[in-house]
Amino acid sequence: MQQLWTALFTIVLGILCAGLWFGGSNWCLDRILPARGRTGAHSSRNIALAALVRPWLFLGPSILALGLYLVYPVIASLWLSFHDKSGQRFVGFANYRWLFGDSGFRESMGNNFLWLLVVPAAATFLGLLAAALTDRIAWGNLAKSLIFMPMAISFVGASVIWKFVYDYRAEGSEQIGLLNALVTSAGFEPQAWIALPFWNNFFLMVILIWIQTGFAMVILSAALRGIPEETIEAAVLDGANGIQIFFSIMVPQIWGTIAVVWTTITITVLKVFDIVLAMTNGQWNSNVLANLMFDWMFRGGGDFGRGATIAIVIMVLVIPIMIWNIRNARAEVRGR
Amino acid sequence: MLVRLLTGASLLALWAGAGVAQDLKFAPGEDSRFNWASFTEFSDKYNLDGQSLAVFGPWRGEDQALAESVLAYFTAATGVTVNYSSSENYEQQIVIDTQAGSPPDIAILPQPGLIADLAAKGLLTPLGDDTKTWLAENYAAGDSWVKLSTYKGKDGSEALYAFPYKIDVKSLVWYVPENFADAGYSVPQTMEELKVLTDQIVADGGTPWCIGLGSGGATGWPATDWVEDMMLRTQPADIYDKWVTNDVKFDDPAVIAAIDEFGAFARNDTYVDGGAAAVATTDFRDSPAGLFASPPKCYMHHQASFIPSFFPEGTELGNDADFFYFPAYAGKDLGKPVLGAGTLAMMTKDTEASRAFIEFLKTPIAHEVWMAQSGFLTPLKSVNPEAYANDALKKQGDILLGATTFRFDGSDLMPGKIGAGAFWTGMVDYAGGKPAAEVAAGIQAEWDGLK
Amino acid sequence: MIPATRSPLAWAVHLSVAIFVLLWTLPTAGLLVTSFRDKDQIAVSGWWTALATSSQNLVFRAPEGEGEAAAEGHFTLTGNVFEAGVGTVSAFGFSSKAPTAFAPDTTADLPGGVSLSVAEDGAFTLSAPESFKGKRGQRIFYTASVAPRFTFDNYLSVLRAEGLGRSFLNSMTVAVPSTAIPILIAAFAAYALSWMQFPGRSLLIAMVVGLLVVPLQMSLIPLLTIYNSAGQAFGFDPKSYIGVWLAHTGFGLPLAIYLLRNYMTGLPREIMESARVDGATDFQIFTRIVLPLSFPALASFAIFQFLWTWNDLLVALVFLGPQDDKLVLTGRLVNLLGSRGGDWEILAASAFVSIAVPVFVFFALQKYLVRGLLAGSVK
Repeated sequence: MQQLWTALFTIVLGILCAGLWFGGSNWCLDRILPARGRTGAHSSRNIALAALVRPWLFLGPSILALGLYLVYPVIASLWLSFHDKSGQRFVGFANYRWLFGDSGFRESMGNNFLWLLVVPAAATFLGLLAAALTDRIAWGNLAKSLIFMPMAISFVGASVIWKFVYDYRAEGSEQIGLLNALVTSAGFEPQAWIALPFWNNFFLMVILIWIQTGFAMVILSAALRGIPEETIEAAVLDGANGIQIFFSIMVPQIWGTIAVVWTTITITVLKVFDIVLAMTNGQWNSNVLANLMFDWMFRGGGDFGRGATIAIVIMVLVIPIMIWNIRNARAEVRGR
Repeated sequence: MLVRLLTGASLLALWAGAGVAQDLKFAPGEDSRFNWASFTEFSDKYNLDGQSLAVFGPWRGEDQALAESVLAYFTAATGVTVNYSSSENYEQQIVIDTQAGSPPDIAILPQPGLIADLAAKGLLTPLGDDTKTWLAENYAAGDSWVKLSTYKGKDGSEALYAFPYKIDVKSLVWYVPENFADAGYSVPQTMEELKVLTDQIVADGGTPWCIGLGSGGATGWPATDWVEDMMLRTQPADIYDKWVTNDVKFDDPAVIAAIDEFGAFARNDTYVDGGAAAVATTDFRDSPAGLFASPPKCYMHHQASFIPSFFPEGTELGNDADFFYFPAYAGKDLGKPVLGAGTLAMMTKDTEASRAFIEFLKTPIAHEVWMAQSGFLTPLKSVNPEAYANDALKKQGDILLGATTFRFDGSDLMPGKIGAGAFWTGMVDYAGGKPAAEVAAGIQAEWDGLK
Repeated sequence: MIPATRSPLAWAVHLSVAIFVLLWTLPTAGLLVTSFRDKDQIAVSGWWTALATSSQNLVFRAPEGEGEAAAEGHFTLTGNVFEAGVGTVSAFGFSSKAPTAFAPDTTADLPGGVSLSVAEDGAFTLSAPESFKGKRGQRIFYTASVAPRFTFDNYLSVLRAEGLGRSFLNSMTVAVPSTAIPILIAAFAAYALSWMQFPGRSLLIAMVVGLLVVPLQMSLIPLLTIYNSAGQAFGFDPKSYIGVWLAHTGFGLPLAIYLLRNYMTGLPREIMESARVDGATDFQIFTRIVLPLSFPALASFAIFQFLWTWNDLLVALVFLGPQDDKLVLTGRLVNLLGSRGGDWEILAASAFVSIAVPVFVFFALQKYLVRGLLAGSVK
């Protein structure tokens, strides 16, 4: 119990500290550079100076945390990727040379590409569908909670859930996997789904789509509710039907959020490894980059050099998305 | 908790002095099966009140409770507070913790390959020559244990870094004696007989084997045990030793032949429950269930000594289910080889308490307490075999002591990327129908890539 | 929102949501049913069979002579193969080779002069010239239709796990601050990135996106090394709750900033401008206008961050340690599974034990997602 009080106390303390920092530093800035100066020139100079400093007061804590917890490890990885397995001897580009000649890497790249193509599109689309449909019905909240549930299930749970879907027993014996039970009752042969090279990728993707749809739905649903009602009312008065309104009015309004959801899921796909690790561990040609990295990092003592090299490749893959986001942000500024 | 102490006052004083309300499973001095003298002698030697010891091991669930019951004796003897912890991803955890500079005091791991890696990075403390001599003298087949525990340090010189504690025997075949009796089968004594029995069962309309390689992220490992057992039954032990160090290549005809020996069982649709296609995808935990089905889905199951924990509830070992030694070929004069695995303790921090802990592992009592409960085998010669909790364990202990050759699980000795990676994947591919030569060449290629 | 007035369309909506929900919950439903099933049944039959009466081949072992009746050198042992509940026997046998050889109520002759009969209701009679004592009980194979049988044992064994309550508290201690801290500091950063003009802004946004992709596993060793050396230098325990909170904050920030910034950018410009004209400072605009308007976005991020920290095992193990007194709930449940990692029934039950809190949080916060704060205030 005492522990819980400590936690609560910390939350309050943390919020107070943050409030003190954000409030206090802004207050100080307003004192030092008052907007109402002695002369007009003075005060406009103050305003300009304060506008230069203030963003950094807002951003400060975040930049500090991001720097320590993410930027520094990236730099450390970059450094490691030029070193041998124990991180002690400099090896130049040897790890990169090895990587591009490795068949496991090529296989993972191919699979990852498939994942990137399918999962973000499917999850975003289904999430949008779920958000739009559940918004219109009385029991929508219940439906939302149920669709959201996969997100809340711990990974250990999710892997058992899908074991009972994909499980394979030989023809003739009783199937305990749902999919094979359906397939056999329809008169077909049971399949070892996760052991079918190439197709097993899609069966693994289904799991991630199943999980991520809830994420897309929650974010998109919030965005849909942000659309001003007048816009929709006007369309209804013009005689548009539900589907027209949805595609020509609502979707364009939340286009930015759809892009955000898409980006986030794309990045999740780049990082996905626990599904693959728990279901197949990359066997039957189903490996992906993040699992390959994990494998090199930690299996049997680990090879930090090669693990870090794969991590760097994963990070490089995100650069196109970064550029696209810079463009978007610039376009916004110009649009204002 | 009050524990009646019948031994000397020194012990009593120590117990009180330790001030730990730990419940000792067997009251010191009471049960004559135990070597209490070793306990008293050990506790007289150490007084480390107030010190603490962090132990990190692979045992979770029931095994954790068993391990803690042994650690309680260490606490009672020395006054050291022991913190045992484990984790699902213990391999990953130990790499992170040692690498980042916050290791436990004692780490206990089942993979010599991983230990070799930690030793090479200079993260372990050598246990010293005394321990080396002690192992050689007091463990059955002591030299092979010393060899197993000797690794190269950061400076490249070899030293004893680990202490083997708790062994599993892997060369076992599980069966239901009553099903054998119903069908009139008897336990085969040689590999030839085993093959005849296998064919006999098929001829009688049954299915001889249940084989399941599924294990989530570790899918494939049960097949590596099969192949290793077959290596030991078709090749002399020194070929096995060279194989795990890659002095004999993975695509050597000897290895390919051993893989095909496994395939003779696993890739024959009539030999395996569910047919060959089910082998790779059936979970190893579900696999033994076939033995107990009605009518039986299979008659035999090759698996290590831990598997009874996945038998149906209430299964009595020795009656409802039993095991026999996975026999050797009578036609090949290779003796009675036994494949095993086990856990090794090592010092990740050199403290007084961790040194005392290694000394504690040398006392018979540290072995007997676990033996007397369940699932523990030891090569320590000075323990009382009567202390084994049941006949099944005693029988496994006999197999261990009666072995003409004992070899540690080869996949654990190989580099992690092979033994816990390419070898598993290769076996899954093999079970799926890929030719043995191709699989072996692939694993060898991966091994070459590590050098 | 749009009232679905036209009834065919309304029906279509109801139907498609129903199908959607069914598809999404069916796999989970399987786990739920499994969590109430008997350990031995899980690997043998599909979970859907547990819902209806099913015909099964079962084995019963007769007792070793307890309760036998002796009369004139003849021994009789009676009992019922259904230990609990009722069922109907359709066939029986005494040998694993022929488990369905006999119809109910007939008598089977076993070796050694023993005879066995099993009635349809499961009552059996064994009789023999010798006592049954001291011998292994006879196996009786029978085929029976068995009514659905569910058990709470799986949940009991999970809930009775030693230290579960403590782990629950530990998880709470980890998850709550790890959710609150990043939201607060990300909201400020998101505001700056969406409504303040300064050089390098779009670069920073791209950085945030880029940092989303940093694999967590990559960061663990460098960070723990820092923690350890800082702990040594300043004499504190490197594995503490504060360490975990900050780590979760760091790892959760990019998503928080990214989501919140997207939301805040979409807020109507006029509100901010009119406030500025009234002489409000950025700080006031943020706390009085932007923050309240962003509630749905804050709530949705809070849900995700809470889920993530609640279900996380790796970060907690690395930065808090696996010791008994600091073990989080996920760690405790995983440890129940034993060294070989798996009893399906424990896995299933513990998945539902650990899902309870996140689902509760979702329900609690859902009303903030739903309340169209923005829609109402734009006028």
